[in-house]
Amino acid sequence: MTLLLGALTIGLILSLLAMGVLVSFRIFAMPDITTDGSITLGASIAAILLVNGVNPVLATLAGAVGGALAGALTGLIHTKFKINALLSGILVMTALYSVNLHVMGRSNIPLMQARTVVSAGEAFGETLFGAKMLNVLGWSVAASDASVLLLSLGFAITAGTAMYLFFRTNVGTAMRATGDNPQMIRALGANVEGYLILGLALSNGMVALAGALLAQYQGFADAQMGIGMIVWGLASVIIGEALTGTRSLGLTIAGAIMGSVLFRLLVAIALRWGLNPNDLKLITAVFVFAALVLPSFLGKLKRRPSAA
Amino acid sequence: MLEISGIRKTFNPGTVNEVRALQGVELTLDPGSFVIVLGMNGSGKSTLLNAVAGSFFVDAGTLRLAGHDVTRWPEHRRARLIGRVFQNPFSGTAPTMSIAENFALAARRGQARGLGWALTPDLMSPLRERIASLRMGLEHRLDNAIGSLSGGQRQALTLLMATWLKPELLLLDEHTAALDPKSADQVIALSDEVIQRDKLTTLMVTHSMQQAVSLGDRIIMMHRGRVLHDLRGAEKQRLRCEDLIDRFDEIRRREQLDESAATMLDALYV
Repeated sequence: MTLLLGALTIGLILSLLAMGVLVSFRIFAMPDITTDGSITLGASIAAILLVNGVNPVLATLAGAVGGALAGALTGLIHTKFKINALLSGILVMTALYSVNLHVMGRSNIPLMQARTVVSAGEAFGETLFGAKMLNVLGWSVAASDASVLLLSLGFAITAGTAMYLFFRTNVGTAMRATGDNPQMIRALGANVEGYLILGLALSNGMVALAGALLAQYQGFADAQMGIGMIVWGLASVIIGEALTGTRSLGLTIAGAIMGSVLFRLLVAIALRWGLNPNDLKLITAVFVFAALVLPSFLGKLKRRPSAA
Repeated sequence: MLEISGIRKTFNPGTVNEVRALQGVELTLDPGSFVIVLGMNGSGKSTLLNAVAGSFFVDAGTLRLAGHDVTRWPEHRRARLIGRVFQNPFSGTAPTMSIAENFALAARRGQARGLGWALTPDLMSPLRERIASLRMGLEHRLDNAIGSLSGGQRQALTLLMATWLKPELLLLDEHTAALDPKSADQVIALSDEVIQRDKLTTLMVTHSMQQAVSLGDRIIMMHRGRVLHDLRGAEKQRLRCEDLIDRFDEIRRREQLDESAATMLDALYV
């Protein structure tokens, strides 16, 4: 049961990552590998502020702002200096590795003693439920675990709703059009480069927020924690699209959240069945590859008999 | 309204692919005039429109529009003054977004876009009315993705979007060339109606002699990046398709003469 709760909580926290990747990958069709650096940047900034006694909410937000700046930098490098989108992301990600080490001052900061958003949530939950253990549908569950799960659910729903509402505003609609048809929106007076920079800032801000929360949940920030995170985000987005389709904006965002949770659950189950944790990233990469290739491959198989 | 003076543009200068697309174009449009731009492929018609729209900066010369010197304005800034319909029906609309959202974007052409809702009742009711007037049945499909519509429907909508806020200048770049004849006629009729009603200053590129003769109050013919003929007033009204074809033949003969002269000179001196 603890395992299930843990998987759900991490899935919900990483749904912020999935939503960030949704912006860069689906709206701008840009695989933005800055993600790998900005999730760690969010964690690093939050961690160093937390161990220095800064208010947890402020520390978490500071992490998100750091990520947004990193995303904006990638956007600037891509638009102003005309460097290939993928390479811009790689440059910033690589630079962030050193930045993160400088921010933390070492490669790992434990947060076990610090007062964090998560520990505050746990404490609040225990007083709210009035007991250390709860009985949920016959299972005995730690009140702290349950309250953190609810907390992360709250974060995911708030972030998803905010994102949905943003993309219905004039700025948000123009941002979607920037990815859909840049020529058209430029002719309608929008600065396409500016929107791309803003979009990547938004995307990486969400990703860094995920990193800041993840660090507080797992109890440490680590310089290596970002490796392969873009692929995790892509996997979540792709699973989400399979679940809800892409017909409407709201469904796509809800799908990304559900995809992230489901992906994390699948991973937890696979690990429980004895999957070697070292193989996890390999399997994730293969999964994303298959998900990207299969639709057109299956389409070809379907067309062939009718053509013959 | 629009003053083009001495604009020049050379693509890929100094390479084997050098193209002198515009070589000193002079053109002044009176407010409310509807000007047809003709010319053979490569004569610089589309380049002229793109130069006015700001798709690139010109190498020399100036562009003035509605009292502003827009020569160094980037494309998105000029969009405040210019409405535009492209040749390709896919270019003018955002395919995965709904009809209503596309118009919400057009309703803020060249204006600041804040955090207000894109789809407001203020927009929706006039929009439904205007789209109903197209008699394409699209007023019931405002929430459908615009990519699901036909090319003719998309061009008609793009035209409405470009003129939703009255532009100082309307640029139509062979906007019916990719359509079937029936859709093309519909879009042309709609263009003429909108241009007459709002008295829009318009530059329209076309390859259709028939459109050139029946529409507009002035024709310019471009050749090798310059304005070769400029017909207006009574002369334009009297013009028939045959006259235009004659002028094209004349250009073609001159072209051939140039070529044979070049061959002769080549044989004699090289």
